[in-house]
Amino acid sequence: MNIDSALQTFFAEAEELLTSMESALLRMDDGETSNDIINEVFRAAHTIKGSAGLFGLDDIVSFTHKVENLLDLARDEKIAITGDLLSILLPCRDHIAKLVDCAMHQVAPDADCLAAGDRLLQSLTPWLGATAAPVAAAVNSAELQKAVANEKDLWHISVRLGPDLLRNGMDPLSIIRFLNTMGNITHIATITEHLPELHDFDPEQLYLGFEISFQSNASQIEIENAFMFVRDESDIRIIPPRSDIQAYISLIKGLPENTQRLGEILVRSHVITQEDLDQALSTQKQQAKAQAHVALLGNILIEEQAVAPELVNAALDKQKKNQDRRVTPENRFIRVDAERLDKLINLIGELVVNRQRVDLLASALGNANLMEAVTSMGNFTEQIRDAALTLRMVPMADTFQKFKRVVRDTAKELGKEIELDIEGAETELDRSMVEKLNDPLMHIVRNAMDHGIEPVAVRRERGKPNTGTISLRARHDAGNIVIDISDDGGGLDLERIRKKAIANGVLEESVHLTRNEMFQLIFHPGLSTAERVTNLSGRGVGMDVVKRNITELQGSIEIDSELGVGTQFTIRLPLTLAIIDGFHVGAGNIDFIVPQNTILECVDLGSLNHVQGQSCVNLRGEQIPYIRLQELFALAPLPDSREKLVVVQFGDKRAGIVVDVLHGEIQTVVKPMGPIFHALKGIGGSSLLGTGAVALILDVQQLIGFAINKENARNGSLLASTQE
Amino acid sequence: MNPLQKQKKVAGKAPSKQFLTFRIGQEHYGLELSQTREIIEFGGITEVPLMPSFLRGVINLRGEVVPVIDLAIRLGRKAIETQRRTCIIVVELTTNDQHHVLGLLADSVSEVIEMDDDSIEDAPSFGANIRAEFIQGIAKQGDEFVVLLDANNALSVRELAHLVEAELQ
Repeated sequence: MNIDSALQTFFAEAEELLTSMESALLRMDDGETSNDIINEVFRAAHTIKGSAGLFGLDDIVSFTHKVENLLDLARDEKIAITGDLLSILLPCRDHIAKLVDCAMHQVAPDADCLAAGDRLLQSLTPWLGATAAPVAAAVNSAELQKAVANEKDLWHISVRLGPDLLRNGMDPLSIIRFLNTMGNITHIATITEHLPELHDFDPEQLYLGFEISFQSNASQIEIENAFMFVRDESDIRIIPPRSDIQAYISLIKGLPENTQRLGEILVRSHVITQEDLDQALSTQKQQAKAQAHVALLGNILIEEQAVAPELVNAALDKQKKNQDRRVTPENRFIRVDAERLDKLINLIGELVVNRQRVDLLASALGNANLMEAVTSMGNFTEQIRDAALTLRMVPMADTFQKFKRVVRDTAKELGKEIELDIEGAETELDRSMVEKLNDPLMHIVRNAMDHGIEPVAVRRERGKPNTGTISLRARHDAGNIVIDISDDGGGLDLERIRKKAIANGVLEESVHLTRNEMFQLIFHPGLSTAERVTNLSGRGVGMDVVKRNITELQGSIEIDSELGVGTQFTIRLPLTLAIIDGFHVGAGNIDFIVPQNTILECVDLGSLNHVQGQSCVNLRGEQIPYIRLQELFALAPLPDSREKLVVVQFGDKRAGIVVDVLHGEIQTVVKPMGPIFHALKGIGGSSLLGTGAVALILDVQQLIGFAINKENARNGSLLASTQE
Repeated sequence: MNPLQKQKKVAGKAPSKQFLTFRIGQEHYGLELSQTREIIEFGGITEVPLMPSFLRGVINLRGEVVPVIDLAIRLGRKAIETQRRTCIIVVELTTNDQHHVLGLLADSVSEVIEMDDDSIEDAPSFGANIRAEFIQGIAKQGDEFVVLLDANNALSVRELAHLVEAELQ
């Protein structure tokens, strides 16, 4: 473990803690007020502060420290958590997140960010000030005076660090730095006696110890917590202010170094006077002479324990509780680098492809035993593939969780009453897709709040409950994940959309569109959303970008809406983009793959009735527009081709793709084509065949768009570009 | 700016660089050895429809799908006609922290030469009829001139993508 990976762990942990902090704050906002929940928030802040201190992330420490103070007051029931306070605590959490983010990207927070932090702390002062602060301040100054008057008011901390700390990624300097955030180190001496000769020196080993005089109002537990991460391997002795001289003596005796030298350090740090020391040491000597040596040692031990047994116990208890809480999830989960998972999945992809090759070779040999073995190996390969893919799956819960916050804040800003209803948060989706799904979802939800849900007055007029509801629902459906975002707001005004489309030249007045096509118009980039963009929904993302993002994920988005009743968006996505079941076809001299889950059937093109001699066939009464790959991609035509029609469906649209040869089913790994081919439409990626040749994966959604456009163009509709 | 050019200025004393030289038609070209990954036999190329002529297709390089560029067309020459000695030079470029792997068609690969910076002459502003930013210098090898290509410019993925986009419109 090096410092870098320790830091990474800190960032990952901080992210989790911040999430749990947010969720706890939101639950408080919902009226939950148990001690547990306040503790949860406190613990999150406390742990982040502690770990950040360890890494010397001072910005995080100082800010979080203040927030923690406030939470501490709440924990002691000195202040009540009110809605007002939550409205500050939530942004405080965000600010911590921002600071962590800055640290992660190794940039210093900019002036704006720091100013925002100061403002937040400023707004916390009424709470801090109203109750504890004056008292604390009084105690502070009183103690401070005493400290000046009597230097024995200093804590004394003896630290002998474990030799492996550096190797474990700990930096003693950050502990000391962290101590300084809790108080003031008045004197520090470094114990270098254990440093070996140069030729024995191991630069990765820690040989140092420290004797620290520390002036602080912190409790012993708090000071001990500064050493939380190193305590197990190190020897930490803490002597509270105004302890008996005997405590110092036993400390000196208990430590492995030269007694005289330690005594000098203590004297120099003004913890004890030379007189005290001499006196104590001589009494000890006399005692030692008089009594058995063992007794003395026992004495020392007792005294050591006597420092504050109840404090120690309290600290242990607390530590244990924290550990209990953590043990459960840690036992069940292992943190794995996402890159390693990706690598595994890539390898399994290769395995799948190679298996197909073995399949081909085995069937060519025609050896029954071999075939059987290959088939059973194939089954396992498939299972491994499925199992590996689930490794990358994460529940939608985290994503949905974010919206709780967004809805809460935005509703307040808008002066509306909005409730977020979440269903199917446990539904899982490939991690890489979840990340890309965030922005489109956010945009739709914001839109729903901004334009969908009506103001309370209007809702009352329409006989709806005051509180509007936005629902996020996720579910699995036949190898896809389906996410519904619905609201019970005003709904889409089709007439207005139509008028605007005509005004903006997107639509010709004479053209008649189906309901569905009208809805799809709102994804048209030409349908200016300027009028609708407020600082809320306008994050520079229009509905056209939403559509594009979803399309990039090989997904589709549909709308259903009724004026005055509400709107529902339905997003449909494949579960993963890494490996697909495909159908291998050929057109011209190129191999293509059609994703299996889009295929309805394959038929001989020649056997079908063509509609008016156009690229549209009649399939059992249904008109299916089709497109020839050979024409679309300008491929060399095959002589004597008996063209086949592959009927595909995406969402509720159907179309046919005309190919020359049908090869059969194939499991295939999706290989991105790279940025050079970005502009190429109709091809979604590439893949390797069992023979090692490259096949191109068809982007069925785009092809259906092409086929329908072609028909529409013939019919004079201008919907064309929305199908892009 | 090419990091190597930068290096040249800082170092002062001529450091030497290795180049892989190859032949397209009658002309000799060189690529920095550090940017080349391997040389493979020509074959197994899959055509990608609707692409401009310099983009010959894609190959399967041990599981990686790699586009293959006909450098001759890119440099404004006649397309390479494949024959027995035709090969693909696999080039690895890093732009904006992104790795791009490309295959380059060549009529044949010659050798690896070591040149110190002093013996590399600046690209002539005339005569070579190759865009100046594609060339980082000219080296003399016996009687032959070797055009040392600036791979980051000559094979700029961004520019290639733009050309593809233009072709499709």
